Amino acid sequence: MTTTLAIRGVTKQFGHGATSVEAVRGVGLSVESGEVLLIMGPSGSGKSTLLSIMGALLRPTAGTVTLNGVAISQLPERDLPPVRLREFGFVFQDFNLLAALSALENVALVAELTGTARAEALRRAGELLTELGLAERVAFLPDQLSGGEKQRVAIARALINDPSVILADEPTANLDSSNGHEIMRTLRAVAKERGRSVVIVSHDQRIRDIADRVVWLEDGQLRDLMTMAVDPVCGMSVEHDRAVTLEQGGELRFFCSRGCRAEFLGELDGPAETRPARTGPLASLFQAVRPKTP
Amino acid sequence: MLAWRNLSRDPIRLLLSVAGVAVSIVLILLLVGYRSGIYAQASAYLDHASGSALVAERGVADFFGTTSTLEPRVVEQVASLPGVAAAVPIVTQFVVFEEHGRKDGMFLVGYDPEKGGGPWRLAAGREPATDEEIVLDGVAAGQHGIGLGDRIRILDRDLAVVGLSEDTTFWSGSMAFARIGALETLLRAPGLRSFLLVTPTPGASLPSLTTAVSSLGADLVPKSTLIANDRRLLARVYDAPIGLMVAIAFVIGILVVGLVIYTSTVERRREYGALKAIGAGNRALYRVVATQALIAALLGAGSGAVLAVVGERALMAWRPQFRVEIDAATVAVVLASSLLMAAIASLVPARALAGLEPAEVLRS
Ligand SMILES: Nc1ncnc2c1ncn2[C@@H]1O[C@H](COP(=O)(O)OP(=O)(O)O)[C@@H](O)[C@H]1O
Ligand SMILES: [Mg+2]
Repeated sequence: MTTTLAIRGVTKQFGHGATSVEAVRGVGLSVESGEVLLIMGPSGSGKSTLLSIMGALLRPTAGTVTLNGVAISQLPERDLPPVRLREFGFVFQDFNLLAALSALENVALVAELTGTARAEALRRAGELLTELGLAERVAFLPDQLSGGEKQRVAIARALINDPSVILADEPTANLDSSNGHEIMRTLRAVAKERGRSVVIVSHDQRIRDIADRVVWLEDGQLRDLMTMAVDPVCGMSVEHDRAVTLEQGGELRFFCSRGCRAEFLGELDGPAETRPARTGPLASLFQAVRPKTP
Repeated sequence: MLAWRNLSRDPIRLLLSVAGVAVSIVLILLLVGYRSGIYAQASAYLDHASGSALVAERGVADFFGTTSTLEPRVVEQVASLPGVAAAVPIVTQFVVFEEHGRKDGMFLVGYDPEKGGGPWRLAAGREPATDEEIVLDGVAAGQHGIGLGDRIRILDRDLAVVGLSEDTTFWSGSMAFARIGALETLLRAPGLRSFLLVTPTPGASLPSLTTAVSSLGADLVPKSTLIANDRRLLARVYDAPIGLMVAIAFVIGILVVGLVIYTSTVERRREYGALKAIGAGNRALYRVVATQALIAALLGAGSGAVLAVVGERALMAWRPQFRVEIDAATVAVVLASSLLMAAIASLVPARALAGLEPAEVLRS
C-alpha cells in the first residue's frame, strides 16, 4: 500500500481578529490506497473543514496537502477544478444530486465534464450504476429514489472519473441504519476492490467497524485515541479526564453524564435489550474489521 | 442538456420568461415597424413621383416641412435648360381639413394630370378633370364617411370628390390631389408653383444642372436629399420616444429573463455548489446558466416575432392609417438583440455562481 493523500501541519482559520475561528489546528494525517479512514468527532469539531482541505475545496491557512506526491495546496486556484474532478470523488450528507437529471445523467455528467463523449459517459455511468445494484433505477429522477439509492448514485458519481481518493462527509446521516450500513459496505468495497483511499467523516458510532483506522477530531485537533471513550448510552465521545466513570467487574466505563450512567445501570438491571458491554474505546475501535459481504 | 432540463422542470417559469421576452420583442418589432412605416409613408409621394430631383425655392431642402415658392421666371427657364428632359410643376400646401367636427391634417398637392405628379394608385374614381374636383386619400375619406360624388369644403370652397387614392396616408394626416388651378384659386395665388419634378436627360451631368438651376436663383435638390431631410424632421419628433420605448421594452426583456434565470440559479445554489466541489469550473457552470437564458430568449424572440407579424396585420386592418413595416432585416436584428438580452441576463447569475465557494456545500 502506498500513501495517496497526506496532510502536514494543516491549520485553517476563518475570519480575522477577535471573531476568528481556528477550525483545524495543526493536523497531520495520511491515507493509503485501499484504506478506509474514518474521522470522528463531535459536531463543530472541524471535520468538514478538514475534509474540504483534504479534497482541495479549501486552502489551508498553514500546512501542506500532498496528493500522490504533488503539493496540491500550493496549486493556483485555476488548476484546482481538474484536480477535484479527476482525483477526488465527493459524497455528501444531503446527496446533492441534480434534481433535473436522471440517475444515469447525474453520473454521466461528471464524466462529460472531463471531456468524455456523451455516449461513452452514459455507457460507463450505466455500468457503474449496475454494479451498485441500481440497474433498474437508471432512468429515475432523484426525487423518485430512496435515500439509500440516492447515496449510491452519489457514490457512482464520485467513482465515474476513477479518482484516487473518495471523500465522504456524513454519508449516512440522512439514512436509516440499514441503508447507512449498506452505504458503508459499499464505500468499503470501493476501497478494497478498487484500491482507492476512502476518507469518511462521521459522528455515527454505528459505522466505526467498517473503517481500517479511526481518528478523533476535537476542537480542530486530533486527539489521542487512548484518551477518548464513547458513552455506551448516548454514543457521545468523551475524554477520559472529563467523563463520569463506572467500574464494574474490573472494567472501567466512561459516560458523558451521570444521567447516562444511571440509564446504563438501569438497562443492565432490566431484562430487555441489553447493550453490548464495552471495555473502553480501543476494544471497539480496533475490533476486527467486519468481513466484506458481496 | 442540464440547461434544458433545469428549465423544463419548471414549465411555468419557463413560460413566464418566454412570454416576457415575447412581449418585449413584440413591442420592439411593432415600434420599429411603426417607425419604418412612418418613414415609408413620408417618402411615398417622392418615391412615386417622376424625376430624380426637384427644383425648390432657394434654401428649401425638404418636401413636407417648408413651403416653397418658385418665381414664374424660374419655372419657365428650367424647362428649357439643357439636360432637362421634363420639369413637372406642382403646388403643395398643408391645410387643416375639418368635417363632422373632426380635424385632420391634409397635404394638398396641385398637379397637372397631363404631366404627372398626382396620385399613383386610385382605389376608386378618377383623377380631377376640373378645378372643382379633388382626389382624397381613401382611408381618410372612409374615416370621415366621405364617398365618391360627395362635396367637401376646403378653406372656403366646395370641391367634388371624384377619386380615392391609395397608399397616401402619412404621419400627420393624409394627402389630397387637385388640379393646379384649384390650388391657385384656393390659395388666391395665381401662377403659384412650389416645386418642379425634374427628369434629367440620360447622361446629363447633375452637377452642371445644379449650377445652372442655382444661377437662376433656385436650388436643384436630389430626391434622396429631400427624403433624408424629411426623415430627419420626423426623426426629431419620433426617434426619441420610439427609441425610449424600445429601450424600455429591451430592458423589460432582460429583466424578465434575468430574474427567472437568477431565481432558478439561486434555488439550485446547492446543486451548483456540489458541481463545483466535484470539479466543474466556473466556465462550465456559466455555460449552463447562459444556455438557459439563451433558450428562454430565443423561444421568446421566436414567438415574439410571429406574434408581432400577426399583430402588424391586425393593427393595419383595424387602423389602416397606421402603416407598420416589419421587414426581415429588422426581425434579424431583433432576434440578434435577444441574444444580447440573454447575455446580459446571465451576467448576474454568473456572478452568483462565481462567488459560490465549493466548500460551502459541506456546511449544513
Ligand atoms: N466558512 C466558514 N466561516 C467561518 N467559520 C466556519 C466556516 N466553516 C466552518 N466554520 C467554523 O469552523 C468550525 C468547524 O466547522 P466544521 O468543520 O463544519 O465542523 P464539523 O463538520 O465537525 O461539524 C465551526 O465552529 C464552524 O462554525
Ligand atoms: Mg460537518
